[in-house]
Amino acid sequence: MLELRGISRRFGATHALDDVSLALSEGEVLGLVGPNGAGKSTLIKIVAGADQPDAGEILIDGKPVQFHSAHDAYAAGIRVIHQDAPLVPGFDTVENCYLGRHYPRRAGLIDRRAMREAIAEVAADIAPDLDLDLPVMFLPPAERQFVRLLRAIADKGRLLILDEPTAALPAEDAERFYEVLRRTRERGTAIVLVSHRLDEIADFCGRAVVIRDGRIVARFGTGEVKPEAMIAAMGGSTTERSTRATDTTAPRIIELDGVTAGDLSRAASLHVHAGEVMALYGLAGSGRSSLLNAIWGAIPSTGAMRLEGAAYAPRSPRDAIARGVSCVPADRHRSGLFLDQDLVFNKTLPLLSTYRRARGLPVPDTMAEHAEFLVAAERVSLTYRDPQQLARTLSGGNQQKLIFSRWANRHSRVMLLDEPTEGVDVMAKATIKEIIRTIAADGNAVLVSTSDRDEALELGDRIAVFRNGGIVRIFSRAEASAEALSAAAQSREAA
Amino acid sequence: MTRTNLNRFGTLIAFVLLCVGFSIAAPQAFASPANVFNLVQQMATLAIVATAATLVMTISEFDLSVGFSASLAAVICFVLFGQGYDVWLAVPAALLAGLAGGAANGVLVARFGIPSFVATLALGTILSGFAFGLSGGQSLFQSVPDTFKALARGEVLGIPVLGFWIVGVLGVAAFVLTQTEFGRRLKAIGGNAQAARLAGLPIMRDVIVTFAIAGGLSALAGLLLAARLGSVQHTMGEPLLLPAYAAVFIGTTASPTGAPTVAGTLLGVAITGVMVNGMTIVGVEPFVQKIMTGGIILVAVLLRRVGRAK
Repeated sequence: MLELRGISRRFGATHALDDVSLALSEGEVLGLVGPNGAGKSTLIKIVAGADQPDAGEILIDGKPVQFHSAHDAYAAGIRVIHQDAPLVPGFDTVENCYLGRHYPRRAGLIDRRAMREAIAEVAADIAPDLDLDLPVMFLPPAERQFVRLLRAIADKGRLLILDEPTAALPAEDAERFYEVLRRTRERGTAIVLVSHRLDEIADFCGRAVVIRDGRIVARFGTGEVKPEAMIAAMGGSTTERSTRATDTTAPRIIELDGVTAGDLSRAASLHVHAGEVMALYGLAGSGRSSLLNAIWGAIPSTGAMRLEGAAYAPRSPRDAIARGVSCVPADRHRSGLFLDQDLVFNKTLPLLSTYRRARGLPVPDTMAEHAEFLVAAERVSLTYRDPQQLARTLSGGNQQKLIFSRWANRHSRVMLLDEPTEGVDVMAKATIKEIIRTIAADGNAVLVSTSDRDEALELGDRIAVFRNGGIVRIFSRAEASAEALSAAAQSREAA
Repeated sequence: MTRTNLNRFGTLIAFVLLCVGFSIAAPQAFASPANVFNLVQQMATLAIVATAATLVMTISEFDLSVGFSASLAAVICFVLFGQGYDVWLAVPAALLAGLAGGAANGVLVARFGIPSFVATLALGTILSGFAFGLSGGQSLFQSVPDTFKALARGEVLGIPVLGFWIVGVLGVAAFVLTQTEFGRRLKAIGGNAQAARLAGLPIMRDVIVTFAIAGGLSALAGLLLAARLGSVQHTMGEPLLLPAYAAVFIGTTASPTGAPTVAGTLLGVAITGVMVNGMTIVGVEPFVQKIMTGGIILVAVLLRRVGRAK
């Protein structure tokens, strides 16, 4: 039903997509895999009408179409389902499925019964156990995904694009989700599945394409979709790897012994030496972010931690800061920045009491703040117009550097970085990686949590691989390879 | 003048136009020294309650108990007077009650995560119950010491005493918000509480302190109102609530990011105060006054949104 011919999209000098062609028929499931930044999201946007290609055509049922907006693509039956697409928590499934649609009416009033029947009919096909009358806030996350599917299909969706649908789901719920998806396929719906979980792609997709640097570099037909083959096709990128080996004679700055916290449900133990970068690699929800948050004092933890040999049990980020721990949290908009405040405000906030006009007087010396901002901005290569401009007006990469700049004027013993290059362009990525190496080279311990395997390989002197709430293995530089990391993060045994 | 400047100073310009308009319409009555003196006296209580609202709105919360706290403080003070206690005990006791009520609001919000709208409405209702009970539903006006009345009456150097209260209270609040670490933290909490927590800020303490200060300021406003009027009713603070928030909202139209500021709030208080005073002098009927005051709040905020959308 869908065919793409020679789709290309450029942003400046970079080819986000270069001559991409593929076809999909009804009832077929296509796996779309590739490393971060390969062009998957650009492709999804183009198919969904949110972006327009510079060259190439889109055909629906053999007829060329032009999507000028997401609305056009919606009218053609294309539905993109994001894992965190909003549902109204207090509405039940039926009401959520009718959001943004015309309600059936009888005698001028909303015909609840007709609504329920329409949804129940589809639900009987794909998710017979789903409780349609319960407000979705009471449904487990997996079933909320069912609701999103149901909403897409019930409103004449013919092609579903699922973007990491199981990233936030535990393994057993993912099984249930795929069960429902299988029945959806049997109704004749075409599905594009984007996932980093390659074993799921292998189980579920009849065909798969691997996209890298904007091109389709491999196509796998029926019976050929295997995780190893896909990893090999993805892994060809020339990742520059640090060549330093861990100096095991350097003192251990931070040691964790049997720590559990949040998603990290299985006791984790690791240590990081002075001058070492420890990469924490795994899927979202695998426990790597929780480990960082535990060290940061942001979530409660059990087990023992030691910092420079002394017991360490932070009860809040404040405690962590006082002990020389610094953090750049994931999701800078939600957890990092004050978008409506200026750059200096954003930089100096966590260590504000170090800028006092006089000892004991909690009035910041704005001149001193300004001066330190300039130094820190230089150190992290921040590009900005004016220290008084709002943080909102910076690009993503510079916003991230701004958060780094908070810690640039002090000697952090431990640096915690959660997805430090997420949503950051290529140039800024390179700078940020440079900053990370410099911090380690100053004799500090650095922990970088990432879902990007290449980044883990590039930055990590050692790499701890997380899966299902625990560390599965800690690789040394010599042992680590793209294949080994993926295999450890993906494999299902012990799940 | 650029568009941004027009947006920023539009509210101030509107205030000036309002003053000029009333001065032309009623040159004798409006622009007279006696009326300006009177205006300042009328504005003082509202300005202080609105400052309390400004602090709480800076952390993106609401305090709906401000009016109830003001009433309760005034009632406590006058009940103590009635029992023969002097100013030096009655006034601190009343202020302390306000601080405690505010701190309780803060604990409900910061420690127990109750939305501030609900927590302060519920606690405010409880406070109003205490005010009702303590006063017995009666108007209190006996045995009020002259030293207490002097807090709000009379003048120094030709300026009403309440004018000094406005300058003192709002001046300190403005200094705290713009110059101190505490003020910086409040803006951070209001801007992004999650990021503030992850940046190591003592959020729970700051939120409780902010609500406590708001309660204390409301109590102060209640006492000044009682001192000016010389009598107390257990509901006397309640009419302050809506105008206080109206003033803060009008004030936010004068800040580039739409954040509440003390200066903006003072402007909001002045605009609503001049509106009511001027319209009364010109002879506009009270019901029309209400409609006009509501309208001006909407117009100010609407203009602001239109300006921001571009």
